[in-house]
Amino acid sequence: MTDDKTKTASRRSFLTTAGAVGAAGLAGCTEESGNSNGESGGSEGTDTSTELSGAINITGSSTVFPLATAVAEQFRADNPEVEISVQSTGSGGGFENFFCPGESDINNASRPIKDGEQENCTDNDVVPHEVVVATDALTVVINNENDWATEMTVEELEQVWGPDASADQTWADVNDQWPDEEIERFGAAETSGTFDYFTETIMGEEGAHTQDYEPTETDRTIVQGVQGSPYAIGYFGFAYFFQNPDQVTAVAIDDGDGAVKPSLETASSGEYTPLSRPLFTYPNEARLSEEHIAEFMRYFIEQSTNEKVVAEQVGYVPRSDEQAQQELDDLNAAIEEMG
Amino acid sequence: MATGTERQGTDRAAFGGVSRLRGVVFRYVTFAASLFGILSLAVLLGYVFWDAFGLETAAPAWYATMVVTVVLPVAGFLLYARRNPLAGRTALELAATATGGVLSGFALVVVLEVIAGPGLWFAYFLAMGVPLGALYLYGRRVEASWTGLAVLGVLVAGPVVGTALLGPLSRIGGFLGGPGVYYLSVIAPTALVARHVVDEYLDGPNGNYVALATLVAPILAAPAIDTVAVLSRSVWLLFFPTLVVPFSIVAGRNLATPGRRVGVAGPLAFALGVGLLAVVPDLLGVAGPSPWFDWQYVTSAPSQTAEQAGLYPAIIGSIFMIVLVALLTLVLGVGAALYLEEYAPSSGPAGAVTQFIRINISNLAGVPSVVYGILGLAVFANTLQFGFGTVATAAFTLSLLILPIVIISAREAIRSVPDSLREASYGMGATRWQTIKNVIMPRAIPGILTGTILALGRAIGETAPLIMIGVATTKFSPPSGLFGKMTAMPMQVFTWSSYPSEAFQHGVVAAGVVTLLVVLLTMNSVAILLRNEFERGDY
Repeated sequence: MTDDKTKTASRRSFLTTAGAVGAAGLAGCTEESGNSNGESGGSEGTDTSTELSGAINITGSSTVFPLATAVAEQFRADNPEVEISVQSTGSGGGFENFFCPGESDINNASRPIKDGEQENCTDNDVVPHEVVVATDALTVVINNENDWATEMTVEELEQVWGPDASADQTWADVNDQWPDEEIERFGAAETSGTFDYFTETIMGEEGAHTQDYEPTETDRTIVQGVQGSPYAIGYFGFAYFFQNPDQVTAVAIDDGDGAVKPSLETASSGEYTPLSRPLFTYPNEARLSEEHIAEFMRYFIEQSTNEKVVAEQVGYVPRSDEQAQQELDDLNAAIEEMG
Repeated sequence: MATGTERQGTDRAAFGGVSRLRGVVFRYVTFAASLFGILSLAVLLGYVFWDAFGLETAAPAWYATMVVTVVLPVAGFLLYARRNPLAGRTALELAATATGGVLSGFALVVVLEVIAGPGLWFAYFLAMGVPLGALYLYGRRVEASWTGLAVLGVLVAGPVVGTALLGPLSRIGGFLGGPGVYYLSVIAPTALVARHVVDEYLDGPNGNYVALATLVAPILAAPAIDTVAVLSRSVWLLFFPTLVVPFSIVAGRNLATPGRRVGVAGPLAFALGVGLLAVVPDLLGVAGPSPWFDWQYVTSAPSQTAEQAGLYPAIIGSIFMIVLVALLTLVLGVGAALYLEEYAPSSGPAGAVTQFIRINISNLAGVPSVVYGILGLAVFANTLQFGFGTVATAAFTLSLLILPIVIISAREAIRSVPDSLREASYGMGATRWQTIKNVIMPRAIPGILTGTILALGRAIGETAPLIMIGVATTKFSPPSGLFGKMTAMPMQVFTWSSYPSEAFQHGVVAAGVVTLLVVLLTMNSVAILLRNEFERGDY
C-alpha cells in the first residue's frame, strides 16, 4: 500500500481493521454481540501503548444525546481507533432495552435512575455509576405577540398544564387579566424525560399532565406550533431556545421569589427554579475496567465544564470545576474498585 | 360522428343524446391526478436542491455565466439534435456511459475498497471468482454436461472454502497490496470481457489489441494518477473498468463512424461548459453557490458543527446493508417465486396449502415495517445473537421486510411468460429444469429486476425497523464488519432534522436527502442498465 496519500491514510488504516474484523465476523464468530465480548478484546493488547481502541455503545436520553455526540466527536478526534455509536432511545427505553440487559456500555438520562430500573439492572449484574454531566433548563415559551403571559407563577403553569385543565380552557380562566381565548398547548411526549421532569416539578406528581395538548419528541415541532398562534404555549429543553432566541419568547418563572428568566447564568446559579435540572450519564461499572471506556468517561467529565461545548454547541449549562473534580474522583474510585 | 346535421338530430332524438362533457371532465381529472404527485414532489425536491447546493448565495453574474457556458451550448445542441437524431443518439449514448461509469465506479469503490477491503475481496475472488470464470470459459469451448453442476458446486463450496481459508488467502492479497489485487481481480477479467465485446459486436479494431491496451494503460497512467491527491491507485484501478474502458470503446466507435462524429460535440460542449463554470466565476470574483452537498460532506463523519458535518459512516452503513439485502432477497425471493409458480402443486390438498401460502405472502407485503423490526429484534438480534444494531441483523431484518414484495413481483414476471413457450419447450423434449433455465428465466429477469430494485429502494429508506433493532443514531466510523455496529442514512438525517440550528435544518438535512437520492438513483440506474441488457438479449 505504498500509494497512500496522506488524505486517505486514516481511511486506509480503517480498511485493514475492517478487513480483519469482517474476517473474524465471517469466520462464524456469531457470539460477538457487538460490544464487550469481541471487539473490546483489542483493547487488552494495547494497554501499554497510548493508542486506545475498542467500541463504546451509548444509549439513552434524547436530551443528553447532542451533548454525548459532541463529546464523542471530540474524543474520536484524539482516538480515531475507538468506535463510538450513540443511539437516542429516551432515558427509560435505554435502561430497559439496552443498558440493563448489558447491551450498551453507557446510558444517558435526563433524570436520576428510578428504583425499578436500578433493580432491573442489579438483576442482570449491571451496576450503574451515576455522573452528572450538565444542567438543563426547561423553558416555557409563548408566541412573540403574547405580551400578557411573559411572567408566570408555578401555580399558573400548573393550571395550564395540570391534569384538570379542561379542553376549552381559556387564558382568562387562569388569570382574569388575560384574554378570553382558548389555550393551545404544545408539550413533550410521554416517553421523553422532559415530560417526566416537567410534570414532576410543576405538578408535583410524575405523569400528571393534561391530555389536551400536542405531544412531540421534536423541539422544532413545538416551536413551529407556538409560532403559529398568539394563544399558544409550549415547553422544551433550553438548548433549542438558546440557539434560536428570537423565534419564540421565554416565560420568566416565578417560584415565589420573583420572576426569573431562563439563561445560562440563572440556571447554573440555581436562581431559575424549579425548571432547571441535572443531566446524567450512567456508565456500566463493570465496563469501566476497559481502558477506552474509562478514558472516555474521564474525558466526558472534563468536557462537562467546557463552556464552548456544553453551552455554545449544545445549549446546556456547564458544570463548575469543583463539581467536575468531585465526579472525576468518584469515577476514578469506581474504576480502581473494578481493578 | 355523423356528417349531416339532419341525421344527427334524429340520432339525438333516438338515443337521448350523448354529452361529451363527462368524458372531457374525466380526462382532465385523470390528468390532474397524474400531475398531483409529480408536482408536489418536484416542488419539494426543488427546495431541497436549492438548500443542498447553497444556490442562494450565488450572485446573478454566476447564473449569467452558467447560462452562457452550460445552458446555451446544451440547448443549442438539443435543437440541432432534433434535426439530426443520429447525433442526439450518439450524445445520449456517451452521456449514459459516462454517468453510469462514474456511478458504478463509486459503487465498486465503496463495496470492494471500503466495505470488503482488498484482502477479504481477494480471498473470495480466489475461492469463487477464479473457479467460476475458469468453468465458464471451459464450458464455452468444450461441450460438457458436468460444468453446470460444477458451477453449482463452486457456488455452494466457494463461500465455505473462502471463509475457512480466509487467513492464508487474504494474506496473499496483503502481499500483493490493494492495487495488485485489483489489477489481477478486476483489470484482468475486464481485458477478457473487452476483447470479447470488441470482437463480437464491433467490426474494425482487433479485440486482442483492445485487451492489451486494457492491461497496459492503467500501469502507464499510474505516474500521472499519483500526482492527483484524491485519486489513489486502487481507486483508479476500480474506475478504469467501469468508466475508462466502456467510455473509450463507445467514444472510439462513435468517432470512427462519420455520421456520428458530430454527436460527440454535445457532451464535449457540456463538459467544457462545466469546466469553465468552475473556473471563470473565480477569476472574475463572482460569488458562486456554497454547496452543503460536496466532497467533504460525503467523506467525513457527523459533527456538531454544521460546516464539518458529514454522512460518510451512514452512507457506507446503508450501502453495506443494502448490498447484503440485495443478495439475500434475490436468492431467496427468486427461489421462492420459481418454486411457487413452476413446481408447487396447484391441485388437491397440497394445492390448497400452496394457495394458502400464496395468499399469505401477499398479505405479508402489507404488514407494517415496525412489526418486522420486532421480528428482527427477537429472531436475529436475540435468538441468533447477531447483535444489536449490527449490519447482519439489519440486513436480515430488511430482507424479511421486502421479501414478500420481491416474491410477488418475481411471480408476476414468471407468470407473464406465455404458457405456449413452456409447452413448446416441453414439446421439444426439454426437462422442467431446462425450460426454466433456457426459456422462463431469460424472459422473466427484466421483470424480476424491476420489482427487486423498487423493493430495495424501499428498504434503503426504511427507518422504523432499524430503530427497533437498535441501530445507532450517530456513529463516527463505518461498520467494522458484518457484525459491527452500523448507522444508516435515514437515521442520521432524521436526527439532524431535530437539531435546532438553521444550518442543520436547511443545509445538512437537505444535503442528506440529496445523498440518499443519489444512492437510490445509482441503484436504479444500474438496475435499468442490467434490465435493458437482458431485454435486448436475443434468446
